[in-house]
Amino acid sequence: MNAAEKIISIRNVSKFFGDLKALNDVSLDIHAREKVVIIGPSGSGKSTLLRSINRLESIDQGTITVDGKNINNPKNDINALRMEMGMVFQSFNLFPHKTVLQNLTMAPIKLKKVPRPQAEELAMGLLKKVGIEEKSAVYPVKLSGGQKQRVAIARALAMTPKIMLFDEPTSALDPEMIGEVLDVMVTLAREGMTMAVVTHEMGFAREVADRIVFMDQGEIVEVGTPDHFFERPEHPRLKKFLSQIL
Amino acid sequence: MAEKKVVIDIGDGAALPRRRDRGLFSAWWISLIGALGLIAYLCITRPDPYWRVLKFLPDGIVVTFQVTIMSILLALVLGLITGLGRISKNRVINLIASTYVEVVRGIPLLVQLFYIYFALGQVFANLPDSNALFIFLKNMPPLVAAVIAMGFCYGAYMGEVFRAGIESIDHGQTEAARSLGFNRTQTMFYVILPQAWRTILPPVGNEFIALLKDSSLVSILAVSDILRRGREFASVTFNYFETYTMVALVYLVITLILSKAVSTMEERLNYYERR
Repeated sequence: MNAAEKIISIRNVSKFFGDLKALNDVSLDIHAREKVVIIGPSGSGKSTLLRSINRLESIDQGTITVDGKNINNPKNDINALRMEMGMVFQSFNLFPHKTVLQNLTMAPIKLKKVPRPQAEELAMGLLKKVGIEEKSAVYPVKLSGGQKQRVAIARALAMTPKIMLFDEPTSALDPEMIGEVLDVMVTLAREGMTMAVVTHEMGFAREVADRIVFMDQGEIVEVGTPDHFFERPEHPRLKKFLSQIL
Repeated sequence: MAEKKVVIDIGDGAALPRRRDRGLFSAWWISLIGALGLIAYLCITRPDPYWRVLKFLPDGIVVTFQVTIMSILLALVLGLITGLGRISKNRVINLIASTYVEVVRGIPLLVQLFYIYFALGQVFANLPDSNALFIFLKNMPPLVAAVIAMGFCYGAYMGEVFRAGIESIDHGQTEAARSLGFNRTQTMFYVILPQAWRTILPPVGNEFIALLKDSSLVSILAVSDILRRGREFASVTFNYFETYTMVALVYLVITLILSKAVSTMEERLNYYERR
């Protein structure tokens, strides 16, 4: 992959919570159509790194550029940049006062001025894709966790983002619902979406990732292909982590 | 997602009856039927003076509602601005809003009424007749002074209600909206306030009822509300006991009906929580 394809560039990023270094001189590039899976123990800074890409977390040092634009430069409209990056949260965060369909159409209609019929058509297509079109008229409270997360993915896709960020999308789900969410993510990956995924699902990482990033104590410890990662891990901390979870 | 139900309990309005709360629910019926029954009984058995008092009060009921509705509208506008100011990250705005709340909450409403009508009235009296605003202030009708004072006072309480209502919404909602590209203002008006409203409505209804009761204070400014009409009647007929009994019963019936209306509205607002 050549340098021109870089869509996210994280350069020497640090973030402090008091004395604690949440991120310590982290650098990482993500290329167009690439799937990067970030793993690591809790408190390793993996979610903080992901959330700093769309500036839900501020950073103290370094630069993050998305599509060539520094996201922390006040001259760049962060709201416009965020429209290019879909985000899926551990706790779904669907809008409970809106129906499933309205959850998907709200942002396109209000922010991109998409005419309602067109926005609803796009939304129904996305709901079909995540296998939940029959629930379009209900409120989120009536959905199971897996259904909520699939709607949340569809809601992010409704803005036709270039990049999708997933912050532990299956961690709040009952085990029997994890598969239906991962299936949607695998489909999305196969279609060529650029994805950055923080997860504990090693099966997903092995199947989908182009590269896996292992973080510990706010640092990127090791980066490699799934083969390298699971067959020939190098760093002792990664070996220890893998021995604990596999 | 934790569906937390936050109940804000501020102010001294009538207790809101809920269907599930059987004790309060039947207390509401006993009070309402008791009050209406007593009014009917008194008017039939002793039409003079009870029926005459009752006939004299409706003009006052209209004025009481005028004052209350205008004051609550002013209080809602001030409350929304204050609530947003209280959660603002801008230190100056935050400080202005917080100071307003502190000052207003520390001064009795009756003193505020006197201050705006009599104290400021004296200042305004010395203004030159140079423009329409000055002329208006010099001749400020008591009703306007009453609405300004009560709206100003309740705006501070309402600001706390709005702040608590906004803060009751899970932060994940803000993050989800911001990650889609909504700015802070859009997030507030499209995502947070529509959800906060159901937490805000019961205490707003409660404040409305409390304000209606406090509006009896404006009778001091010669505004002809229910209490003032009663005073006028009693001062002519000297039927103090009968007059104030009727006045109390009329206030009671009004607040009971309003408290029921508020709790019904509250149930309707929870439509999207029903499984």
